[in-house]
Amino acid sequence: MALRDRILTQFLTATILLLLLFGISADGPAVALEGFWRLQSSPARLLSDYTAMQGTGAALLNAAAVGIIGWLFAMLNGISLSGPTIAAVFTMIGFALFGKTPLNCIPIMAGVSLSALIVRKKPREYLLIGMFGTALGPLVSFVAFEMGLTPALALPVSLAVGLAVGIVLPPLAIAMLHLHQGYNLYNIGLTAGFIGLFAASLPSAGGKSIASISSWGTAADPWLFLFIPLLSLIAAGMAFICCGKKSWNEFLSILKLPGRLPSDFCELSGPGGALLNAGILGMLYSAYVAIVGAPFNGPVIGGLMTLMGFAFFGKHPRNVIPVFLGLLAAALLFGKTLNESWVILAFLFGTALAPIAGEFGPGIGILAGFLHLVLVERSGTWHGGMNLYNNGFAGGLTATLIVSVIEWYRTSIER
Amino acid sequence: MKRREFLVHLISELSSFLLQGQPRKMVISLHQEADGIHLAVIDDRARSEVEIKAIERALNASRRPELAGYYGQMAGHDLLGSARLNLVGWQIKHADVLKNPGGGVMLNLWIGGEDFEYTKFSIDPEDEKEKEK
Repeated sequence: MALRDRILTQFLTATILLLLLFGISADGPAVALEGFWRLQSSPARLLSDYTAMQGTGAALLNAAAVGIIGWLFAMLNGISLSGPTIAAVFTMIGFALFGKTPLNCIPIMAGVSLSALIVRKKPREYLLIGMFGTALGPLVSFVAFEMGLTPALALPVSLAVGLAVGIVLPPLAIAMLHLHQGYNLYNIGLTAGFIGLFAASLPSAGGKSIASISSWGTAADPWLFLFIPLLSLIAAGMAFICCGKKSWNEFLSILKLPGRLPSDFCELSGPGGALLNAGILGMLYSAYVAIVGAPFNGPVIGGLMTLMGFAFFGKHPRNVIPVFLGLLAAALLFGKTLNESWVILAFLFGTALAPIAGEFGPGIGILAGFLHLVLVERSGTWHGGMNLYNNGFAGGLTATLIVSVIEWYRTSIER
Repeated sequence: MKRREFLVHLISELSSFLLQGQPRKMVISLHQEADGIHLAVIDDRARSEVEIKAIERALNASRRPELAGYYGQMAGHDLLGSARLNLVGWQIKHADVLKNPGGGVMLNLWIGGEDFEYTKFSIDPEDEKEKEK
């Protein structure tokens, strides 16, 4: 096994073991397992905080299970761990604290694989679309458990919907990629939001309104509070154990990269630097969450996990800070409360726009962050919470706006 | 992707990369055979050994089907920002980067299916290297 594979395998194993250990310790194995079972048939649309709905233990076990499924999916496709696969597994784990379950992920991943076979490609070519595409898991859960179908119909119909969504994801994901040209790291967020617009409109057309869900845990749970700082320390510690001082040099070289999709930091720089980057970003943003007094609940831990995952695939302190400043400027200007649910999530997930700052400079990065906060407050209702990556959706629209203007200017101006 | 579209995207990304260096001349040569393709792009801009090594590394990036099938679709299409040769590298069999005697580089790309052997081509990269010496 190559050094990169070995390090990333160890890190992902440590992450999943930590989830299992904390999950079992938080509420005891019996309560955690019982809650985990109930989560499978719970509503999953935004904002369903699994730590508040079924407890910390159940949510962490669910996250571990979804993470294992993602990892197995990559292994079955013969793809080893790298920057993008770590980002995808971490995103799956993070969102399994507020929306993804094994039951609602598997049909979508199967549908994407089927889509590859339809056009005579190998399923591994669409592996990442399948893994990130689980953003639409709530749609599967919605059909199965919220539409009032009989149990005999609910499972096959939801499975069919999941497969259908998976089949249309690849062509749309590729089309959406061209819109923002790789400057929104959560491309599937834009894609899933686009599909979500139609998915949410169908029940409305049939006269069925979609009630909003607002589950947001506020309890101070030490297991959740400790999880990301501990994982960040593990990441930084592993960086120095595996690669020594070289990790620091690799981290410095990561800071020079724009981070535009697809930037595999493990390949472009090195796994030690990428691990250190994940540790630093995890600590920095955990500190921010603590400072503004936001709860360390399912969605917030999910945001931090996604941030750490994308520290292997596009984000680093130099390209996220301008976006952060833009978000802060908009929040202060419009009088938003910094620890309010959607605001804190915008700060964590808005970093999807980091490549804009990395490529076009901090000024444009600040503008991107500012516009993102303005848009994301409204975009969640457009798709009825069916798309878990609401910030990816808003980020994609923001990136498209900025990229279009820059491209028009650069290609039109006479030199 | 159809062969024609695939080639258009590769040529576009490679051209974008070379044109970023503002060369005075650029030549694109394509040689198609039933089981494979040889694409050569030549410019006249002088490059350091470090730059040439970086180009060679990007074009000979290890095969990444999970990236090529998805993000590889951006090659030659989404050109705002720096050109990215690794998008091309994930999708080809092999690349040779040769320094032209008169300055500039020649990028030789060998494209084919799983069974494709570039050494079977009538244009042999070894011959090209010999000519350079």
